[in-house]
Amino acid sequence: MPHAPVVETVGLTKSYGETLALRDLHLRVDAGEVFGYLGPNGAGKTTTLRLLMGLLRPTSGRARVLGADTWRDSVHVHRDVGYLPGEPAFYRRMTGVQHLEYLAHLRGDDGADHGRALARRLDLDLSRPATSLSKGNRQKLAVVLAMMSQPRLLLLDEPTSGLDPLVQQEFQALLREHTTRGGSVLLSSHVLAEVQRLADRIGVVRAGRLIAVERLETLRAKSLHHVVATFADGVDASEFAGLPGVRDLELQDGRLRCSAPQSSLDTLLKRVTRHHVVDFECAEAELEETFLTYYEADDAA
Amino acid sequence: MLHDVALKTLFDQRRALVGWVTSLALLVAMYVAIWPSMRGQPSMSDFLDQMPEAMRSLFATTGADLSTPVGYLQVELLSFMGPLVLMLYTVTAGAAAVAGEEDRRTMDMLLSTPVSRSRVVVEKLMAMCVGVLLLAAVGLVSLMGGGALADMGLSWPDVTAAMLHMALLALVFGTLALAVGGITGHATLSRAVPAVVAVVAYVVNGLAPVVSWLEPFQKLSPFYQYIGHDPLRHGVSWSSVAVAVTTVVVLAVVAVLGFRRRDVLS
Repeated sequence: MPHAPVVETVGLTKSYGETLALRDLHLRVDAGEVFGYLGPNGAGKTTTLRLLMGLLRPTSGRARVLGADTWRDSVHVHRDVGYLPGEPAFYRRMTGVQHLEYLAHLRGDDGADHGRALARRLDLDLSRPATSLSKGNRQKLAVVLAMMSQPRLLLLDEPTSGLDPLVQQEFQALLREHTTRGGSVLLSSHVLAEVQRLADRIGVVRAGRLIAVERLETLRAKSLHHVVATFADGVDASEFAGLPGVRDLELQDGRLRCSAPQSSLDTLLKRVTRHHVVDFECAEAELEETFLTYYEADDAA
Repeated sequence: MLHDVALKTLFDQRRALVGWVTSLALLVAMYVAIWPSMRGQPSMSDFLDQMPEAMRSLFATTGADLSTPVGYLQVELLSFMGPLVLMLYTVTAGAAAVAGEEDRRTMDMLLSTPVSRSRVVVEKLMAMCVGVLLLAAVGLVSLMGGGALADMGLSWPDVTAAMLHMALLALVFGTLALAVGGITGHATLSRAVPAVVAVVAYVVNGLAPVVSWLEPFQKLSPFYQYIGHDPLRHGVSWSSVAVAVTTVVVLAVVAVLGFRRRDVLS
């Protein structure tokens, strides 16, 4: 099945008593793809990943990973999946290398050697007790344990939290090598900046609902830019109104302020240059703002 | 040592096991060392005879005679302290097996490997069996060794039988802890339920001979299966072994089914 999705969920729903943690999730991740799963803390990202790992039982709907049901056939799923928990916890009085060896044995393969190589690349000391490591080093160990068996799918819950920028670069290189081999990644984050460097597609989850899935290019075209133009002569606001996607337009004392998606910048700029420009600023907004602008209204509806 | 869940569990317990082994050996040595001074004290038996019947029934086994080595060991070691040490080990191990691992949040990591929840439960139970048999063996060897020194005239088959029944008793409560952990995932509850059940079972077995309405329940008590047939005199009771083993198997199945049907706590 060359085109079978690596991850496929149909109406996946999870509630804890009265609390609905995840509602009717339809999600698909293909081979070789990096899917960024974005949302604020508590939106349902961890719930989704733990459902995919068979740690949680779906309230309704179902999820398949590599063709196997995540709840009924989780052992099969785990053979080809590496998982990095949102809050990695380790055994007391066991060193990094002991964790490596234990999990490698349980996987029945010799991922331990690859794990040691990964630890060297991330500059992680495996000889120390895991629970005495700093936050950053614990995260490195969790990365090593998730990736050491070279699985086909990586499920990473906030993988770069606590990693310093240099290590993040190495981590990104590791993910690229993983996808070059045809591996897939589903990674969650509440920071868009880290997702946008890695992901091919981005899904946004809020309050337990997946409210948008976009390709990164599409998202970029929509990405908001804050534009400020100061004119020498008087201009009329109506000249700029009605441009597709332009919003928050205001004109005061010969200074124009507005927000515009990347796709409208060309038209906007041409309108602006009809006049004598004293000053011009254009800055890309955080993608989060873009998301809020486009999808919050839908979410509220 | 880290080849599978069972071995890793014993690896985790290595310090605790050394502690339990040491305390059990010291306990036995202490009781054996006191024996020579007890032997010459017939008044101890009188003391026991003068106790209210309910008290005697509760703290000493029926018909125990403190002036004989077997009676002395039964009252002092087998009826309370010995089982207590073994049960502290098994209940701690049983509660740590599933609920403890969830409590420390390592269960997500363990279950991210291709190891099923059933295998986790079964392998941890296996580790508990090895641990409790080790403790029973230490009890046996130190009793026989100390008994030889103090000239207590103990027989290997009977002491072996007593320690086997004691190990089974501890396993019943350890597996109960495992089952509560499997169903609920709560570590404290997994320790509390077996503790309460053990106290009730102990009292029921102890008071049943003097409290008539308790009598029908006596045979349900794991303590009755353990000591009701007086293993130090009569050796192994295979029917009691069968009841204990069945209880352990049933509780293990409950643990597996309970753990398989619920969310892993985080």
